[in-house]
Amino acid sequence: MTDLTTRWLGLDLHSPLVVGASPLTDDLDALKACVDAGAGAVVMHSLFEEQLIAEQMAAHRFIDSRINTDAEARSFFPESEVFAMGSSSYLKRLEQLQSSLDVPVIASLNGISPGGWTQHARELEDAGASAIELNLYDLATDPSDTATTLEQRQLEVVGSVVEQVSIPVSIKLSPFYSALPAFVAGVEAAGARGLVLFNRFYQPTMDLDELELSREVVLSTSAELPVRLHAMAMLFNRTTLEMAASGGVHTGDDAAKAILSGATAVQVVSALLAEGPSALARITDEMNQRLTTMGYTSLIEARGALSLDNAPNAQTWERLNYARLLQGWQSSGRTS
Amino acid sequence: MAFKTLDGNEAVASVAYRLSETIAIYPITPASVMGEHADDWAALGKPNLWGQVPGVVEMQSEAGAAGAMHGALQAGSLVTTFTASQGLLLMLPNLYKIAGELTPFCMHVAARSLATHALSIFCDHSDVMSARGTGFALLASGSVQEAQDLAAIGHAVTLESRIPVMHFFDGFRTSHEIDKIVSLSDEDLQALVSHEGVEAHRNRRMTPDHPVVRGTSQNPDAFFQSREATNPFYQAFPEHLEAVMGRFADITGREYQLFDYVGHPEAERVVILMGSGAECAHETVEWLMAQGEKVGVLKVRLFRPFATDRFLQALPDTVQHLAVLDRTKEPGAQGEPLLLEISGALMETYSRGDKQVLPRVIGGRYGLSSREFTPAMVCAVFAQLNEPAPKTRFTVGVRDDVTNLSLDVDSTLDIESPKTRRALFFGLGADGTVSSNKASIKILGEGTELFAQGHFVYDSKKSGATTVSHLRFGPLPIRSSYEIRQAQFVAVHAPQFLERFDVLEHAAPGATVLLNVPWAPEEVWDRLSVEVQQVLVERKAHLFVIDAAEVAEKAGLERRINTVMQVCFFALADILPRDEAIGHIKESIRQTWCRRGPEVVRRNIEAVDSALENLHEVTVPGEVTATRRRPPTVPDDAPDFVQKVTRLLMEGQGDKLPVSAFPIDGTWPTGTSQYEKRSIALEIPIWESDLCVQCNFCAMICPHTAIVSKVFEPESAKGAPETFEAVAESFTPELEGLDYRIQVAPEDCTGCGLCVEVCPAKDRSQPKRKAINMRPLEDHRVAEAANLAFLRSVPDVPRDRIPRDFKSLPLLIPLFEYSGACAGCGETPYIRLLTQLLGDRLLIANATGCSSIYGGNLPTTPYTVNADGRGPTWNNSLFEDAAELGLGMRMGLNKLVSRARQLLEDMKEKLPAQLYRDLTGPCATLDETAMAARREAVSRLREWLADQQGPAMQELNSLADELCPKSVWVIGGDGWAYDIGYGGLDHALASGQNIRLLVLDTEVYSNTGGQQSKATPMGAVAKFAAAGKETRKKDLGLLAMSYGHVYVAQIAMQSHSNQASKALQEAENFDGPALIIAHSPCIAHGYDLVHSPAQQKRAVDSWAWPIYRFDPRRTHEGLPPLQLDSVRQKVPMKTYMQEEARFRMLELRDPQRYEQLAAAASDAAKEQRELYMQLAGIHFEPHEQPEQKDKGADHHD
Repeated sequence: MTDLTTRWLGLDLHSPLVVGASPLTDDLDALKACVDAGAGAVVMHSLFEEQLIAEQMAAHRFIDSRINTDAEARSFFPESEVFAMGSSSYLKRLEQLQSSLDVPVIASLNGISPGGWTQHARELEDAGASAIELNLYDLATDPSDTATTLEQRQLEVVGSVVEQVSIPVSIKLSPFYSALPAFVAGVEAAGARGLVLFNRFYQPTMDLDELELSREVVLSTSAELPVRLHAMAMLFNRTTLEMAASGGVHTGDDAAKAILSGATAVQVVSALLAEGPSALARITDEMNQRLTTMGYTSLIEARGALSLDNAPNAQTWERLNYARLLQGWQSSGRTS
Repeated sequence: MAFKTLDGNEAVASVAYRLSETIAIYPITPASVMGEHADDWAALGKPNLWGQVPGVVEMQSEAGAAGAMHGALQAGSLVTTFTASQGLLLMLPNLYKIAGELTPFCMHVAARSLATHALSIFCDHSDVMSARGTGFALLASGSVQEAQDLAAIGHAVTLESRIPVMHFFDGFRTSHEIDKIVSLSDEDLQALVSHEGVEAHRNRRMTPDHPVVRGTSQNPDAFFQSREATNPFYQAFPEHLEAVMGRFADITGREYQLFDYVGHPEAERVVILMGSGAECAHETVEWLMAQGEKVGVLKVRLFRPFATDRFLQALPDTVQHLAVLDRTKEPGAQGEPLLLEISGALMETYSRGDKQVLPRVIGGRYGLSSREFTPAMVCAVFAQLNEPAPKTRFTVGVRDDVTNLSLDVDSTLDIESPKTRRALFFGLGADGTVSSNKASIKILGEGTELFAQGHFVYDSKKSGATTVSHLRFGPLPIRSSYEIRQAQFVAVHAPQFLERFDVLEHAAPGATVLLNVPWAPEEVWDRLSVEVQQVLVERKAHLFVIDAAEVAEKAGLERRINTVMQVCFFALADILPRDEAIGHIKESIRQTWCRRGPEVVRRNIEAVDSALENLHEVTVPGEVTATRRRPPTVPDDAPDFVQKVTRLLMEGQGDKLPVSAFPIDGTWPTGTSQYEKRSIALEIPIWESDLCVQCNFCAMICPHTAIVSKVFEPESAKGAPETFEAVAESFTPELEGLDYRIQVAPEDCTGCGLCVEVCPAKDRSQPKRKAINMRPLEDHRVAEAANLAFLRSVPDVPRDRIPRDFKSLPLLIPLFEYSGACAGCGETPYIRLLTQLLGDRLLIANATGCSSIYGGNLPTTPYTVNADGRGPTWNNSLFEDAAELGLGMRMGLNKLVSRARQLLEDMKEKLPAQLYRDLTGPCATLDETAMAARREAVSRLREWLADQQGPAMQELNSLADELCPKSVWVIGGDGWAYDIGYGGLDHALASGQNIRLLVLDTEVYSNTGGQQSKATPMGAVAKFAAAGKETRKKDLGLLAMSYGHVYVAQIAMQSHSNQASKALQEAENFDGPALIIAHSPCIAHGYDLVHSPAQQKRAVDSWAWPIYRFDPRRTHEGLPPLQLDSVRQKVPMKTYMQEEARFRMLELRDPQRYEQLAAAASDAAKEQRELYMQLAGIHFEPHEQPEQKDKGADHHD
C-alpha cells in the first residue's frame, strides 16, 4: 500500500483527495460520509463577493425601501428579523463544519475587486478555517482592460487577502493566462502558499428553443483533466507553491496522473455530485492500487515523476507534439 | 433623566409590554405597530417587569383577541391589548364582560374614526366613545410623553381599583408622532405598580383548587342588584387614580390631574377637550394670555367614570363662557358625549344649589378623521365665546355651507415660537425620506439639548406614494399638534412634485428651499413654473439644488436618495455644526445598516461623502421670468365633479372644499383614476409592432391596466395621431379583418416591467429586443398619451366577437384601471380580468384590505365604465363581513329580479308575444349574444312601457334592468378569507346561493404590513411568526370542497393564465356558490416582483401552490369533481423557497430550523398531493340533480 499522507498548505492530510468547493458544503451528512470515505480535507464553496453584495443590495432595495412608506404598514417584515446578509451564515457554517468534521476545513473566497470585501478573509480565519482558497474569477469585457492591468489587479487581491490572515492561502486560477508561470511567480511573490488548477467556470449554455442563455451546471469529465496535468507538469519545480488539481478527476488513474504531474492534493467534486460520497472511497482505492502496483511506497515518491523536469520524454509536454497529437486525432477521426 | 425620541406607539407599547404577561392582538391601523413591537421584543426574549417574556398571540380577529384576553385574565394573568376603530367595536362584548367582572386590565387604543359612509384610518374619538358604556375607565392622553405616562398610570390604577382601563391617544397624531420624551425606567414602573394589586388579581383567578362559577345566567331577580353592586368601585376610582398620579409625580416629577387646567387663574372663557387637540389649545391659551386675554383650557384626562367634583374643582369659578369640543359625531344627539357630560355635571351642581350661576356652555365638533386642529381654530372658538349669541352647536375646521355650523377661521394666524425651527420634506415613498427624517430626529433629540418632533403624512397610493414629513426642533417643549404652516426649510425630494402640488405653500418668508432635480444648477431657474418662481421671489427664498439621484446612483443606491438629502438638510438648516452633523449621520447609518451588511453601510457612507460637493445655490432673481404655468391637475374635459371636487383632493387642497361639495351618503362616481396622471415610471413599455405575436400576455399581466391590447375596425381609427401604429390582427381567425394595437398608458404605468418580462416575441438577430421594451418615459410620454386618448375613443368591437380563450380575453375592455396598487402587484390582474369578463354586470362586495384601498380610496378610484356607462358597482362594508355583504346583495337582488318577473308575468297578456319571449328566455351572464339580446329587449320593453299607464308600468320601468342578469362577486384577501371573515365565508358557501368569492391570497396581511395569517405557508417569516411559521397553511379549498356543492378553484394567473381564465368562467357559469383562491405575489414576499411569473411557476411546480378546479357538475357526469391542473411535482420545495426573502431570512438566521421547516413543508406538499391525487381519482355513481331553490336570477330564466 502506498502511504497516502501528504502535506498541503502546511496541513497534514491523511489523503491527497480533497472534497472541492461545491454545493456539498451545505450537506453536512454528505460531507461526513466523504470524510468517512477517506477525504483528506474539505473545501467549502465560495463566499462569493458579487453574491454577498447583490443580496445585501437586493434586501436594501426590496425590503428597506418598503419601510416607512405607507400609513398603514410601517414595514413588511418583523423588525427583529433585520438580518445581516453578509458573511455571518457562511461563518456559522464554517464553524459547524470545523467542529463536526475531523479533517481540515478550507474556506473559500471569490472576488475580483481589491476593496473592502477582502476583510472577510480575517473573518474566515477567526471562524476557524484551516486555510483559505481564493478564487480569482475575472471576466474581461472592457476593451481598455489589458491583460497586464487585469493581472495586476488580481495580484493586488492576492496580496490584500494574504495580508489579512496568518493562515495559508491558496489561489484558484482559471486556465486562461498567456504566461502562466510568470503570473504564478507573481502569486508566489504576493505571499500565497498554494495553487489550485483550474477553476471550472459554470458557463452559461444556450437555450435554442427560447433563444436565450440559461444556467446549467455541467459536471466535469475526465477529458478536462489533461489541461490541468499539463499546467502542473510545467510548473513543477518552477514554483514553490503547492499545487492541487481541480477539475476532471473521476477515477483513481485520474488522481494518480495528477500526482505524477506534480500535485500535492487532488480535488474531487463532479464525481461526488454524480455518484455520491462513495465515489471518494472508490477513487481512493483505485489510486492506491495503481500507485502500489507502480511500486510507489509514498506519494512523495510519485509526485512530479512525469513533470516537465522529470519525465523521460519531457518534450511531449511541449508545443511541437501538441500539434502532432492533434493531427493524429483528426486523421483517426476521418478513418473511423 | 433618560431622554428618548420615539413615537407614541412605541412609548406606550414599551410600558404595556413590561407590565403584562399575556398580550392578545390583531393588526389594525394605527395600532398595529404596538403589537408588532411587542412581538419583536418577545422574539428577542426581552423580559417584562417580572423577568418573564410575555406571551404574544395574534388572533383571528379583535373579537378573538378579546376572548383570549378575557380568558387570560380569568386565569389570573396580567393582560393587555392594542387596538383601534372597528377592532375596538369587535372587542366590545368582551369589554362589558371584563368590566362586569371587575377585572384589572389596561388596554391601549390609538383612537381612529369608525367607518360610516366611508372608512377612514385617521383619528377621531368615535371608536372610544362607542365604548363608553362598557364600564371601562376612559383615560385620555394628548402627547407622546403623556401617552407613555398615562399608559403606566392606567396599568397601575386598574390593579388598585379593579376597574379596567381603556387608555386612548390620538391615532397618527400621537401614535405615529416622534417626540423627545423622558422615558420610564423599569425602576420607575416597579415603584409605581402595586404588587399587592398583582397578587390580589392573581388570587381571584379561576382554579379548581378554589372553584367558583362566573358567567352565570341571571334572572330579573338578580341581575339588577348585581349590576348595582359594582357602584362603590366606580365611586372610588377617582381617588385611586389620584393616588397613583400622586405616586407617579413623586417618582418622575411629572404631575397629572383628573382634569388639568392651564390658563388664567381668573379665566372668563375656557375650552374643554381631550386628546392631542388639548396640546394645541394649551399652546394657544399661553399665546392669548400673553396678549392679555383671560382664557384657559381644561384638559380632560379621565372621561369615565366622570368625576364631577374634580371637574368643578379644576374649573376656575370666574368662568362665564365654556366651549366643549368633541372629536366625534353622534348624529341626532342633543350633543356629543363630552358636551353632555359637562353640561349634565354643571346642571346638577346648579340644581343642587352648589353653584349659583351657570356659565354659558356651547359645544362643537373638530378634527374628525384627523382633520387639522390649529391655534387659529382654537382662537376661533374663543372668539365665538365672545359673541353675544354664539352658535350653541358648531363645527371648526370645516366650511359648512349647508347647515352653517362652522366657525370662521383666520388661516394666516401663526403663533409658533420663532425659536422653533420648522422643516417640511416632500418625498417619494421608496426614496427613504421618512426613514432618514426619523433618523435626523433621533440625532437631534438624543444628541443635543434640543426638543424635536416629527409627524409624517402619507398618501394612500401603494406605488409612487408621496410622503410629507413635518419636523420641528427647538429649545422649548413642542406642543404643536398640527401640521407645519410656516416652514423655514422646505425640501422637495422629487422634481415631479413641483408640477403636481403647491409644495411651497407653507414656505415661510426667507425660507431655504432645497430641490432634488436632474438639472444643471444654471438650468434650474428657467425650468421652474411661474407658480414656483413667484413664491420664491415673493418670499425671498434661498434656493439650493442637487442632483441627488445621480449621487445616489453613483454610490450604487439606485433611487434611495435619502442619505444624500439628509446631509444637505443638515448642511443648510444650520442646527448643528456641519462636521458634527455628518459624523452623526454616518454613525446612524452604521447603526441602522450594519445589520443588513457592510456593503450597504459602505454605499450609504459614500453617498454622504459625495453629497455636499453636488449641492449648489441658485440665485433667485428679483422677478419672475417664467411663462410656463404648472400644468392643470386634471384635463379640461374631465367631468364637472372631477373638476370641482376630485381635483382639489388630488392637489392636497381637499380640506378647503365646503360641506356642500360632497356627496351626502358616501356615494361617489366611478371611473376617476383616469384623471389622476401621476407619471411615476422612469421607463415605460414601448411596442415594436413588427415583432409582436399578438399573444396579449402583456395586457394580461399588467397590474395597473397600463398596457392594453385592442382590436378595432380599421376605418374607426381614421384621424389617429401620427405615431399611432396598428397592425392587422393576424393570429385569431375570429378577428380577421380587424386592426390590432398594444397601447401603454404612459402616465399611469409604474414601470414594473412585468409586461416585458412575459413578452415571448424576440428579434431573432438581437434577442434582447422584444416586442415591447422599457424606454425612457420622457421620450414617449406626450406621444403615447395622445395615442392612448385616441385609442380610448375608438369604438370597441361587439363583445361576442372576442373569443373566450385566455389569449383573447385581454381584448375585452377592462373596467378596472390605473389603481394605486404596488408596482408589480399580483392581486390586481385578477380583478381586471374579472371586469373584462363581467364588468358591466358586476356587483362587488369588497373586504377591507389592500383591495379596498387601491379599489376605493379617494381621491380617485379605479373601477370604471364602458361606452354605455355600465361598469362594476362596488362597496366595502367591513373587513370581516364581505361574504355576508355579498350574500345579502345576492338575496336582495334576487327579490328585485323576481318582482320584475312577477310584474312582467302580470302584463304578459298585454305585452307583444315576441318581447315577452325575448325577456324570459335563458340568459347566462357569460353568454354575450344572449346578454346583448336581453339588453336590447329591455330597451324595447322601456319603449313599450312609455306608452302604457299605471303604477305597475312605472314600477317595471324602474326594475327593467334587473331582467338582465347580474353577477355578485366578493373580493378580499387571505386575512379576510382565512381569518377574520372565515365564518362568513363559510356560511356564504353553505348558503348555496349564486355568489362567487375571490380570495386574493398573498399569504399575509399585506395592507397592515405583513402579519401572518392562517394562509401563511410553513417556514415563512412574517410578523407574529418571526421565527418562521411552524404550522401548515390552512387548506381553504379542501374545506370548501367538503361541502360538495361548491365550485372551488385554486389559480395562479401570472404563470397559468389559461387555467385561471377557465376557472373564472366555470365559476361564473356554476349554479351555486363558487370559491376561487388566487395566488397573489406581493411585496411582502421579499423579492423583485418582475420575477413573479417565474417564481409563481416554481410555487405551482413545487406544489407549494397546486392549481386545480373542483366542479361538482362533473359528479353528475360520473367524473371525479376534482381536476388537478398541475399534477407532477416538478421542482423541489426548496427551489421555490430559496427565491423569496420571507424564507431566506429564516435560512440566514437559523439554517437548521430552516432545513427542518423546509423539509416539513416539502412533506406537507407531498401529503397534500397524495390526498389530491386520490380525490382526483374518485368516481361517484351519477345521480339525479336535486331540485333547485332560487339561488340567483341569472340561471333561472
